Amino acid sequence: MKTVVTFEVNGEPREALADTRDTLLELLRDRLGLTGTKEGCSNGNCGSCTVLVDGEPVCACLVFGGEVEGAKVLTIEGVAASNTMHPVQAALIKYGGTQCGFCTSGIVLSAVALLRRNPQPTDHEIRHAIAGNICRCTGYGKIVEAIKAAAVDLQEARL
Amino acid sequence: MTTTEAPMKVVGKRLPRVDAGERVTGRATYPADLTRPGLVVGRIKRSPHAHARIVSIDTTKASALKGVLAVVTASDFPVIEPGTIIPFGETGADAWVSALTVIARDRVMWRGQPIAAVAATDAYIAAAALDLIDVAYEVLPAMMDIEAASARDALLIHPAMKPKGFDASILAPRNAGGRTVIERGDVAAAFASATAIGAIKTVIDTAHQGYIEPHACVAEADATGFVTLWVSTQGAFQTEIQTAVLLGLSHSKIKVIPLEVGGAFGGKITVHVEPIAVRLAQICGRPVKIVMSRDEVMSGGSGPAAAARIDVRIGADAEGKLTAIEGRYVFDSGGIPGTPTTLLMQASAAPYQCANLYLEGFDITTNKPRTEAYRGPGGIQAAFAMEQAVDELALTLDIDPLALRRRNLAVTGSLMPIGTPFPSIGLTTIAERIAAHACWREPIEPGRLPRGRGLAFGYWRGTSMTSAAHVTIAGDGRPMVTMGSVDISGTRTTMAQVAAEEFGLAIDDVHVAMGDTKSAGYSDAAAGSRVGRTMAAAVSQACQDALGQLRVRAAAKLQSSTDALTYASGVFRTSGHGGGSINLFDLMRSTLTEGAIVGRGVSTKLPLGVEAGAHVCDVEVDPETGQVTILRYTAFQDVGRALNPVAVEGQIEGSVSQGLGWALTEGFDYAADGRLRNASLLDYRMPTALDLPQIDCVLIETPVPDVPYGVRGVAEMPIVPVAAVVGNAIRRAIGIRMTQMPMTPERIVGELKAARRC
Repeated sequence: MKTVVTFEVNGEPREALADTRDTLLELLRDRLGLTGTKEGCSNGNCGSCTVLVDGEPVCACLVFGGEVEGAKVLTIEGVAASNTMHPVQAALIKYGGTQCGFCTSGIVLSAVALLRRNPQPTDHEIRHAIAGNICRCTGYGKIVEAIKAAAVDLQEARL
Repeated sequence: MTTTEAPMKVVGKRLPRVDAGERVTGRATYPADLTRPGLVVGRIKRSPHAHARIVSIDTTKASALKGVLAVVTASDFPVIEPGTIIPFGETGADAWVSALTVIARDRVMWRGQPIAAVAATDAYIAAAALDLIDVAYEVLPAMMDIEAASARDALLIHPAMKPKGFDASILAPRNAGGRTVIERGDVAAAFASATAIGAIKTVIDTAHQGYIEPHACVAEADATGFVTLWVSTQGAFQTEIQTAVLLGLSHSKIKVIPLEVGGAFGGKITVHVEPIAVRLAQICGRPVKIVMSRDEVMSGGSGPAAAARIDVRIGADAEGKLTAIEGRYVFDSGGIPGTPTTLLMQASAAPYQCANLYLEGFDITTNKPRTEAYRGPGGIQAAFAMEQAVDELALTLDIDPLALRRRNLAVTGSLMPIGTPFPSIGLTTIAERIAAHACWREPIEPGRLPRGRGLAFGYWRGTSMTSAAHVTIAGDGRPMVTMGSVDISGTRTTMAQVAAEEFGLAIDDVHVAMGDTKSAGYSDAAAGSRVGRTMAAAVSQACQDALGQLRVRAAAKLQSSTDALTYASGVFRTSGHGGGSINLFDLMRSTLTEGAIVGRGVSTKLPLGVEAGAHVCDVEVDPETGQVTILRYTAFQDVGRALNPVAVEGQIEGSVSQGLGWALTEGFDYAADGRLRNASLLDYRMPTALDLPQIDCVLIETPVPDVPYGVRGVAEMPIVPVAAVVGNAIRRAIGIRMTQMPMTPERIVGELKAARRC
């Protein structure tokens, strides 16, 4: 059965014709062509499909498409403002925090959500915030360094 | 350029990846992200049994379902006999192995082996169609470990296969694939006169490479039958060759386009879904995309890394000089025989000089999924046994474990286990650096719970094989590099650094791309720690070739002779007083239409860049829960020369992370009937950010002679010592020698309880 889902994605109003069985992940990737959000496990274990729904990080594979009716969704495609990288993205580049890149979208969204609610996180708080995002390439050290540096950059930008 | 001692401007610098921007913005394209006009969905039906005879497959109902466009079984593919050798790396490969990995024929060797596949207009219809395929099986007993499969009365999984490497004097175990022996001196005599012996018997569980991107591809056949295949693979040409052979197509009729690879680690060399996608696309005349689910990846859709049972015994004299090493390495190949044991046996003994060696390796076929390579295949398992045995020896002799190793480490020119002299190797430098480093000198910080420090060495041979690159010069004078190898580890970045160095330009002025199999020269897979080294050689050669052609043009423009020109930083100059000059921009703008500049580089059989390193680790063990916390981890590695230290550290940190996973929590749990009981990433517990410490890397640079830039292999060695160093640290913390891997909390608690009972 098909349904029309009306919601906001990356600040733009969208209407998508979806199968009622579609998850938010399928809605984004298959119906809207927003393929920056990745599918690594489809059961909420790997965090690759992390997006923000009304500001909260969620695994898009665990939410039905119909559930985001009227919600505001932020995906990786909407994190950078036009051509300016978000400090988290810039820092991941600078510190070598992305290798194969498959987990990176989810890491970016988890980090963006963290820094919104906690602008000066400790190392442990950073590690806790990305504990639901499995990265198999980096060993996390360079990701943690990058998020720490991004927090400082964001603080400085505010001053 | 490549041999001078002049300081380098781009190579060796901590530069960000040239493709990092695409990755952090979600724009990097993996095959699952690709769409094509008319694209349809392919899905695979898999065996629910670990060992069975396929009695019949009825696809009638599935084919009749509206929206189903094609259904295939093994009968839609040519029969590939065992021994169908295809060009592949150093020794070739048997296409029969790839064929059985892609689709089962007549018999099933593991649960999750493909049985049939469908193409349908959407994923829901495809899933419904799979349920409509009726397969009748005659279920056979499943043999889920080495012991069961090698038991005297075990059923033969491949009755027609003759085990290799056995003679009349040795009875082959049931389901043995092969036997290899490395032998020198007289081990029995050496043990008889040894003062001390360190020994261990280990059991290692099957684990998975754990790449986050499931296998995926898109296949399309045009009206002439020409096939285009977009893939996530470690080797575009290897995908082309396997797919061509498995489908009975000519190589020249398939173009493989490698897209981004979301992790591979050895598991994306063999084809899995690609030939099926092509066959479905050929039948239905539409592009077909297949993406595996996580459950498929874990449960037999892709090969895990081999389980093993490894026994090692080391003898030494009173001074701690090693006199004998004996090892028996039994590897679980999964459903198809052929896990190679030679390299891993050598690797485990290679760090040490020892006159008497007897290393014997077997592989046993079981009803687990066919195993595949995983980062230094077999290295971590073998070192788990060998390096813990060395530690046992140190305890027996009451010698500091670093001091014991320093008395025995291999040096340049000493004999490798196979009997040939070691090429340049920096093990003694590594030992000196450890001795001087705080991670070894400073005492371990005291804590409430028992703590201990471990040390383990590692070695990996790596390989060279062949790599090709070519360079064209754009109309603005900038070099454009096309590589025949795929980039799974930052190769575009390091090769951009090499090309920039060769041309004396900034990294932003060069462009490096992965070619497809119809636009680049044949290159072997990105595997065996070979691409950085051999592609650097190919790119360097291609750049110099292009510069030679540019020099001829510049000489004509400047009315000079080629000999009289100097070149630096993008400018040719005549050497005499008041001479002219021309930069690459002006040179190309004025000569572009005189013909293309194409520089060619091929690296074949480059000298090996053997990898050596050692890890030091402090752990805390909670005796109540068995929980192991890694407090500090330092990885020392001789990298020859780091083309880009950030990339090198990334490889080391990632290796350590994977190694710690297998060391502590990652192990496949198979039921007796072949079901995998921890097929999700929740239950198959890979390390999260909360499980790992900051990993410190110490890079040592002992360049390899006769290799451009002196580069060594980097990416496999650093997983080799990880489980052993943790085992050694646990032993020092709680006095228990762990012999099972992973060293899970329950196993540690079990060992502690057993020790208390004694």
